[in-house]
Amino acid sequence: MITVSNLKKEYGTVQALKGISFSIAEGEFYGLLGPNGAGKTTTISIMSTILEPTAGEVNIAGYDLRTNPIECKKTIGVVPQEIALYNDMSAQDNLLFWGSLYGVSKGELIKRIDEILHLFGLHERKNDKVKTYSGGMKRRINIASALLHQPKVLFMDEPTVGIDPQSRNLIFEVVEKLHQSGMTIVYTTHYMEEAERFCNRIGVIDSGQIIAQGTLDELRKSSSIKETIAIAFANLTDELFQKISLAWPEVKRFDQTIHFFTSNSKNDLAKIILNSNELGLDIVNIEIMKVNLETIFLSLTGKQLRD
Amino acid sequence: MFQLAFKDLKLFFTDRRAMLLTFLLPVTLITLFAFAFGGIGKAKNEVKEYDLPVCDLDLTEDSKTAIAALDTDKAVHVVMVTLEQAQEDVKKGNKDCVLIFHKGFADSLLYGSPLPVELQYDEAQEIQVSMLQRALFTTLAMVPYSNRNNAQRMLNKQFDKLIGGGNEQLKAQVHAQSDSLFKSVGKGVEANPKTSSSTKIAIGSDIKMTKLVEAKEENSPGLIQAVAGTAIMMLLFSVAAIGAGLLDEKQEGTLKKLLYSPMHPNNILFGKMITANSISILQLTVMFIYATVAFGLDIFSHVPSLVLMIVVTAYACSSFGVLLASFAKTRQQVQGFSTLIVLVMSCIGGSMIPIFIMPEFMQKIAVVSVNYWSIQGFYDIFWRTLPLTDTTFLTRILVLFVIGSSLNLVALRMFKKNILQIA
Ligand SMILES: Nc1ncnc2c1ncn2[C@@H]1O[C@H](COP(=O)(O)OP(=O)(O)O)[C@@H](O)[C@H]1O
Ligand SMILES: [Mg+2]
Repeated sequence: MITVSNLKKEYGTVQALKGISFSIAEGEFYGLLGPNGAGKTTTISIMSTILEPTAGEVNIAGYDLRTNPIECKKTIGVVPQEIALYNDMSAQDNLLFWGSLYGVSKGELIKRIDEILHLFGLHERKNDKVKTYSGGMKRRINIASALLHQPKVLFMDEPTVGIDPQSRNLIFEVVEKLHQSGMTIVYTTHYMEEAERFCNRIGVIDSGQIIAQGTLDELRKSSSIKETIAIAFANLTDELFQKISLAWPEVKRFDQTIHFFTSNSKNDLAKIILNSNELGLDIVNIEIMKVNLETIFLSLTGKQLRD
Repeated sequence: MFQLAFKDLKLFFTDRRAMLLTFLLPVTLITLFAFAFGGIGKAKNEVKEYDLPVCDLDLTEDSKTAIAALDTDKAVHVVMVTLEQAQEDVKKGNKDCVLIFHKGFADSLLYGSPLPVELQYDEAQEIQVSMLQRALFTTLAMVPYSNRNNAQRMLNKQFDKLIGGGNEQLKAQVHAQSDSLFKSVGKGVEANPKTSSSTKIAIGSDIKMTKLVEAKEENSPGLIQAVAGTAIMMLLFSVAAIGAGLLDEKQEGTLKKLLYSPMHPNNILFGKMITANSISILQLTVMFIYATVAFGLDIFSHVPSLVLMIVVTAYACSSFGVLLASFAKTRQQVQGFSTLIVLVMSCIGGSMIPIFIMPEFMQKIAVVSVNYWSIQGFYDIFWRTLPLTDTTFLTRILVLFVIGSSLNLVALRMFKKNILQIA
């Protein structure tokens, strides 16, 4: 359905994308996971034809993006990262306007809007001006406005940033429904929970490069880290943490808790406990966790997804 | 792109502030300027004691008698002046007119030839002058009869001319006849002046009317200046605001979203142009209708020219607003630029100060402004009353059209370069 090959983008001297390639099958839910500034929005913007790439090719539903942008645009629906609506118009009028740009007939459009407003739980407020809406409600309308022409492919750029839990759950439900109905979805996020929950396949992106790609299981298997041992201490000091991290290079401190990343927890756990006793550290709690995207990202980049 | 324009118009009409700025503010300004330029209320003025400058070049007993008779008129107060002084005053607009008794007035009176009386006036003050003229008719018509001997003599001279030289006997007979005839006519006139009104006008209309200052028909230039000047200046402000809407779309992220849609990016700009043109035409129309309702501007005799002028003015001004938006990077920039440019153009183009009172070099500079061509166009329509087919008028239409089209072209290029880039 979508093929992206060797995509590059330079903003002056900034290399936002350093040659990105991936392909997405029809009906797939593809996640682009990466921290802020990784190049997610740049990728989506190029795929939405509003940004010219420095190099590389994109093919959507058989249409080349460069030679046939209009056909590509008809195929896709885009939910931008920022909420973009006319605040002085009602939700209904906003949707009527955005839908009309895709050449949906008025009768059809009104029917679609009605369905979608019900889907997003905003039917009662449809005649209120958007400026009276909460952030979460605006986000929902922002998503709804990309669905009116029933696109085959949906791009969603961090659709849950800065949003209340209730709206977030509603969006999750809708996104899952859309996926079930067979829509191909490209979803960017820096929340690993979201990527783990929805995505068939995940591309991990950092500094303009895809550093790992595959299903969640594939990513787990390929990772040198298998588990995380989280140990909470009673008396952890900076000095003691310093000493621990000399012995165990792959660690991360969260207050009084240290995460030890390991490929063999059975072996390492005993060693860590021994080591702690030698340093005079009092252990309060021990937890062993299966590897997640967060730790995979950490092991690949030495950075966290969120700072 | 029509959806875009439709959306913008919808937003515009629900925006109370935009409505106030587009319609109420210009109306207020037009009212103020109209009063300031003295272009209104003329027709309602009653003639009080009117200070009439009179210049006596004849300096005879008869001319003095006639002037004295004028002075007795309730509506007129005669002020004796020299010819140069009076003409100077009229040209400067200090006085509306001057009444001149030319040399030979007494003789003409005597020989019954047309009276060499001339009213030189400023056409801009025609209403005042025409009222005065009516008063003068009445008084001057009576002049030949004011001295019965004089009039009798005049009549006899006329008959003498008819009879020709040599036949003194016939002349004496005719004189005797005419004396008795004159007596009865004179009595009749004195008894009931109205019955002889036709005679009066025939004589009174001998006053030669000479325009010292060329002017309009019924529409005062002050009013035209106030309406056209203000309307165009305010129009430029409102199109700048519409253009700025494009940058709002950019800042709000909706521009980006418009670009996701399958329409051609240029249509975004075309949509804005349609919006700007529609609102401009509406604004100008409202302004002229207001001027008609409030100040009696006669728009109905010039509908086709006016419509054409409004459309090209709207077109030229709209393109200016769109161009401004395509150059600027932020709304704040548009506002800054537009205020500066609109004020400068309005100033040199004659929106604030009528162009004809500016020094000549300023009048030459004026042609670089949209305001100049539009305002002159409206003067063509209402004041010079040029027909639609007049080349001067059509040239102005053409200039405005060319301005509009070239600005639009530049805007389109800049739009691609500046606006679409950053999306
Ligand atoms: N218009 C721009 N001009 C210059 N640099 C940009 C521009 N847009 C994005 N960048 C840079 O490109 C990189 C990728 O940005 P972006 O795609 O927005 O990241 P993400 O969406 O993953 O947070 C960042 O380093 C960002 O600073
Ligand atoms: Mg982003």
